[in-house]
Amino acid sequence: MNFHETFFILLAAIIMIFSVLVVTTDKILRAATYLLFVLLATAGLYYWLQYEFMAAVQVALYAGGIVVLIVFSVLLTHQIHHKLVSITLTRKLLAFGIAGLGALVSIVTIVNYDFNTAPAEAMKVDVRQIGLHLVNTGHNGFALPFEVVSILLLAALIGAITIAKKEESNSDNI
Amino acid sequence: MGLTEILTMSHELALIAALIILLISEIFSDEKSKYKFIPLAFALILGAGVVGLIFGKTGIIFGGMYQNDALRMAMKLILDLATLIVFLQSTEWIKHPHNKNRVLEFYLLVFATLIGMNFMISSGDFLMFYLGLELATIPIAALAAFDRLKNNSAEAGIKLILSSALSTGLLLYGLSMIYGTTGSIYFSEIKELITLNSLSMLGMIFFITGMAFKISLAPFHFWTADVYQGSPIAVTSYLSVVSKGAAIFIFTFVLYNVFGATSAIWTQILVMLSVITMTIGNLFALRQQNLKRFLAYSSIAQAGFIMLGILGQSAIGMGSVIYFLLIYIFSNLGAFGVVAIISAQTGKETIADYRGLYATNPKLSLALMLALFSLAGIPPVAGFFGKLFLFNAAASQGYYWLLFVAVVNATISLYYYLLPVKAMFIEKTDSPIATFKAKPYMALSVAICMVGLVVTGFASVIFEYLVSVSSGL
Repeated sequence: MNFHETFFILLAAIIMIFSVLVVTTDKILRAATYLLFVLLATAGLYYWLQYEFMAAVQVALYAGGIVVLIVFSVLLTHQIHHKLVSITLTRKLLAFGIAGLGALVSIVTIVNYDFNTAPAEAMKVDVRQIGLHLVNTGHNGFALPFEVVSILLLAALIGAITIAKKEESNSDNI
Repeated sequence: MGLTEILTMSHELALIAALIILLISEIFSDEKSKYKFIPLAFALILGAGVVGLIFGKTGIIFGGMYQNDALRMAMKLILDLATLIVFLQSTEWIKHPHNKNRVLEFYLLVFATLIGMNFMISSGDFLMFYLGLELATIPIAALAAFDRLKNNSAEAGIKLILSSALSTGLLLYGLSMIYGTTGSIYFSEIKELITLNSLSMLGMIFFITGMAFKISLAPFHFWTADVYQGSPIAVTSYLSVVSKGAAIFIFTFVLYNVFGATSAIWTQILVMLSVITMTIGNLFALRQQNLKRFLAYSSIAQAGFIMLGILGQSAIGMGSVIYFLLIYIFSNLGAFGVVAIISAQTGKETIADYRGLYATNPKLSLALMLALFSLAGIPPVAGFFGKLFLFNAAASQGYYWLLFVAVVNATISLYYYLLPVKAMFIEKTDSPIATFKAKPYMALSVAICMVGLVVTGFASVIFEYLVSVSSGL
């Protein structure tokens, strides 16, 4: 096992352990913190694949932006001391069994599949190329999805506002 | 690419324009003019439909990411029509004082989901398909939680978002496996490259699972019960008719046009899903007293019948699925419309409340009867032809025992569809719902459904057209 592989296993282990911790902890702020480590380790994976730009985006957007947003919204809504309802043991075992079975099937299938071997040299992706792909309207261009994502974000914003909007004070509660 | 090519997606552009017009009109509105959004939304959805009808043209743009053909254009128009009917039916609910701050938001969110569905229907690759699916799902979660001060509406919203997160996760994982085996996200390329191997089949199974969540096929239907019950009635009808219709369309399309080479596998899965869905949907619906829930559950069973059409694997199969969706929209929205009218007027929603309705409100009773007959598939109403063509498509592939199960289930469904009819026409009560006049918009929506039921049932040209523009395996 060389350094390259060790590094991958390390990153994968961090992602797996903290992912489990995110969903098993009963304190919401801790879950957000664990999520930060998952996202940082994912950025590490991009570095490992030599996708430096993706790694930078991952750190800036997810680790830097999204987690901070989550922490802010947790603090602002006074849910910081809120403990999640604990789940009964039978349910835990059942969920663990189903998840384990699903993971087993997927892992066995993926390990046994004969993938096309990738070229030894990692593909260099520079920012310029990414930018060109994003505005390309031809085959393998991503102009249309890029635009549709912005509508998705707009719709999500409107949806969030709809739910968060205050009722008029004079209207009685339902 | 030039302007003429971009105009291939004129229908979507019209919907986006409608969204922007609605957003801008908010700036010029004040407290009093809030309800002017209602006719504006009617006009915009009609306008988008007309633009799609007149300027819509077939073509493949964005390197294959966006495709438009006659069948897809027809499906988009069907969805526009269904949305218009839902808008008409939602007027009384949206005018309620509780919603007075969020009149515009309702229309904005519906338009956003409609844009998503249109892009999903027209997608030529899995990326656009996924984006369209998300755009069609996330705003609906906000719609389900619209009456958020009611606990069960908030619950509906959170359940919808969590279950769709799970199903989307499964779907994406499956798509990543497909990408891993074929190296492409384009439908046309995957179709050529896909082979029967364990990884691509696992990917396909994950894809079918994810879509089964969206269409609420049993055993992936558990979210449906609470979401349908908790959401406002307009959202429930939108969810169970328009969203479901769009998802079924693209599901059929992808199975035929991407996984065509592996049909031996997915037909077996669909047979199982179909049997379980029909049976469980019927068992659920049998026990319902509340008409809203009754209709919602019966729509699960209807999805099981639609699987029969998909199993036809031919142009006739595809055509019968779309034809059934069209009839299903008219019959389900017709029934939902009558329930909404009576609920808005009297607040009564259970089957027992409808006793003696024919004596006091004969027109509404007849409309509800017609819609229920159509859902049950009693000749000569349109629903009969819809089911007949679905059964016919399955029979052409030799699924005789499945047909037998379907016929048994159709008979069971006949029983519960006739319960409200019996209550309205035969059972007597001392205090029936008093005679009243329905609000014009809502009456119009039911009238459109009734005309639609008669026309789609008797004008064979509609079915023939849908089959002629469909394509099989």
